[in-house]
Amino acid sequence: MAIVTDAATRPGTSVDDVRLAVGAVRRRNRRRLLLALASGAALALVFAMIAISSGAASVAPDRVVATLLGQGDRTEQLVVFTLRLPRILAAVFVGAAFGLSGAIFQAVLRNPLASPDILGVSTGASLGAVWAILGLGLGGAVVSGFALAGGLAVAAIIWATAWRQGLHGIRFVLVGVGLAYVGASLIAWLLARAEIRQAQAALLWTVGSVSDVRGDALVLVMIGVVIGCLLVAVFSRGLPVLALGDDHAISLGMRTHVRRGILLLVAVLLIAVGTSVAGPIAFVALIAPAIARRLVDDGSAALAASVMTGAVLTLGADVLGQFALPQFTAPVGIVTGLIGAPYLLWLLARTERKSRA
Amino acid sequence: MSGPSTVSDQEAPRVADTALVVAPGSSAGAVPAAAGTAPAAAAADVVASPRRRGRRIGTGRAIAVLAACTLALLAIVAASLVFGVRSIDPGVVWQAIVGPDPANADHNVVWQLRVPRTVIGLLAGVALGLAGTLIQGVTRNPIADPGLLGLNAGASLAVVLCIAMLGVSSPLGYIWFAFGGAAAAAAIVFSIGRGQPVRLALVGAAVTAFITPLIALVLLRDTETFNQYRFWAVGSLTGRGLDVAALLWPFILVGAIVAFVLANRLNLLALGDDVANSLGQRVGTTRLAAGIGLVLLCGTATSLAGPIALVGLVVPHAARRLVGTDYRWIMPTALLLGPVMLLAADVIGRLIVPNAELEAGVVAAFLGAPVLIAIARSRNVAGL
Repeated sequence: MAIVTDAATRPGTSVDDVRLAVGAVRRRNRRRLLLALASGAALALVFAMIAISSGAASVAPDRVVATLLGQGDRTEQLVVFTLRLPRILAAVFVGAAFGLSGAIFQAVLRNPLASPDILGVSTGASLGAVWAILGLGLGGAVVSGFALAGGLAVAAIIWATAWRQGLHGIRFVLVGVGLAYVGASLIAWLLARAEIRQAQAALLWTVGSVSDVRGDALVLVMIGVVIGCLLVAVFSRGLPVLALGDDHAISLGMRTHVRRGILLLVAVLLIAVGTSVAGPIAFVALIAPAIARRLVDDGSAALAASVMTGAVLTLGADVLGQFALPQFTAPVGIVTGLIGAPYLLWLLARTERKSRA
Repeated sequence: MSGPSTVSDQEAPRVADTALVVAPGSSAGAVPAAAGTAPAAAAADVVASPRRRGRRIGTGRAIAVLAACTLALLAIVAASLVFGVRSIDPGVVWQAIVGPDPANADHNVVWQLRVPRTVIGLLAGVALGLAGTLIQGVTRNPIADPGLLGLNAGASLAVVLCIAMLGVSSPLGYIWFAFGGAAAAAAIVFSIGRGQPVRLALVGAAVTAFITPLIALVLLRDTETFNQYRFWAVGSLTGRGLDVAALLWPFILVGAIVAFVLANRLNLLALGDDVANSLGQRVGTTRLAAGIGLVLLCGTATSLAGPIALVGLVVPHAARRLVGTDYRWIMPTALLLGPVMLLAADVIGRLIVPNAELEAGVVAAFLGAPVLIAIARSRNVAGL
């Protein structure tokens, strides 16, 4: 940005000079985005290789490749295709869904704290699941259904109450935060009432884990995430204009309420589907976009980069949770916050120093 | 024919939107110290005249609001003393207050159960109301509250650790740990996030994101700790005696003084860091002082009542709605509304379930949500 203003304000610059400068900045930003995406993909591959080859029965990396190409023996096929690949795919797709959803929330509502974790959608899903486990004594796939219903119900309530002559960011955020607190205190209350073992099982669900996502649920999530990404790719073109604020966006001819509504709806569906199978993996939707925006650093919403950081963060957290501590596997939702938050803090501290200099 | 009508259709919302943009300027014009922003105020006079009624609020109305809040507080304190699972005649309650008789069972209930929880509710409510106002003023983020800035998470982690490692088992024993945890979290948040308000809010969220899984990690592995912690985490005014209040009230007093001294500085801060700087204010000093006040207020509130949701978020918004955008009026209003809301939650929790009680934390959330939704739906919601 600095280059542009320099060139534009220097006396005697022609339009061509400015155009060149803008082009240079654009090229630099594009290089930076590609670099971020490529290094993220490389990191994800490394994590995936670790996850697929280590464990109770280790498979050497070359055998992993052979098995993936269809040349493994029976045990290898069982280990790779039935036990480990689903978990990796689940981490990648659920993480991508959370990252993208958080990025949309934050960009559309223009508040860096506006993520489904904080706006009550995840809390609603947790409440649905905790109520199913503790209140109704259910277990298994039904709990996912309740979680989905809980998340969508909270989103619907936010929608219905925040809608007044259109969907305004600040209303959506305020109502969402309020509902998140109601949900959280209800969860705390349910946990305090219940029998202690059951309460602990419910607590585990609210942390989030990808270890049991397989079969139909996995396929559902993968399809949902792909569709969601496509929809976002179509509708996200207006985001830079929307980021200028409603007044400018409207005066540039955008139907802000429609655009915001569609994008938020996709984001809510992404988070609801992801949460229903894996639980509300804590803070991925908050942290991943914040990291992505600082990696890309071109002032945009960094949607593609958020998909990448969400997937890498979740997959890396799952790998760490499985293998970092001997004798103890931590569910992925515990590790995401523990590694994501310090990284975000470090990025924040570093940008502060840079802006001061 | 369609041409002109389309133009006017587009014109109308655009004018309204300009009013929306300028509206903060008009509120700034109401701040005496910022009277230098004459162009903005003049523009506001031209454009925002239909909206002014809701924005400019005179001293008379503010005083009336404060009087009404004081009355409400007195009423709710009386209700908190009178209502309960055991029905006691209001006359007997009055006798117990003025001339307690140790042999009278009713008097004992009043003094040992109802007076302590009323006092705790008063103190915690005052602290939460003021803390929420401070935090929203400093971060200029309408969703900032003690929970989001990581203070509650810090206090909770400290309580969990003191149960799990030191075997502390009474709410009295948690106090200093909760206080220390909140202070440590605030120190981290304010030292990393001191730059911009946005960064402060983000750092707070990141610290919460770091601490919450740590708590879950301990709770998932240690059933006994979870069993104790879950009752603290709901948030309640019971089980604490007057001795706790006697120990902690000075912190709230100091925090309240800090909040009131900072009120006018928050007015300037609301105009943005640059404007506040150019008007001669030391923004960094304001933030530091606000941080100290916050730790005192939030730490005490969490020690007294556990992590209580929504009071710190709703009260400042409600106060802003009642008395306008001047923090010198918002502060006293929040001071009164905080205990009104918390004690109301406690009283309702006593009455709503026959022969049992619902914790104040749960009721406060249910009480706060409709208020917050109503505020969010109102026309001039931004106000920050």
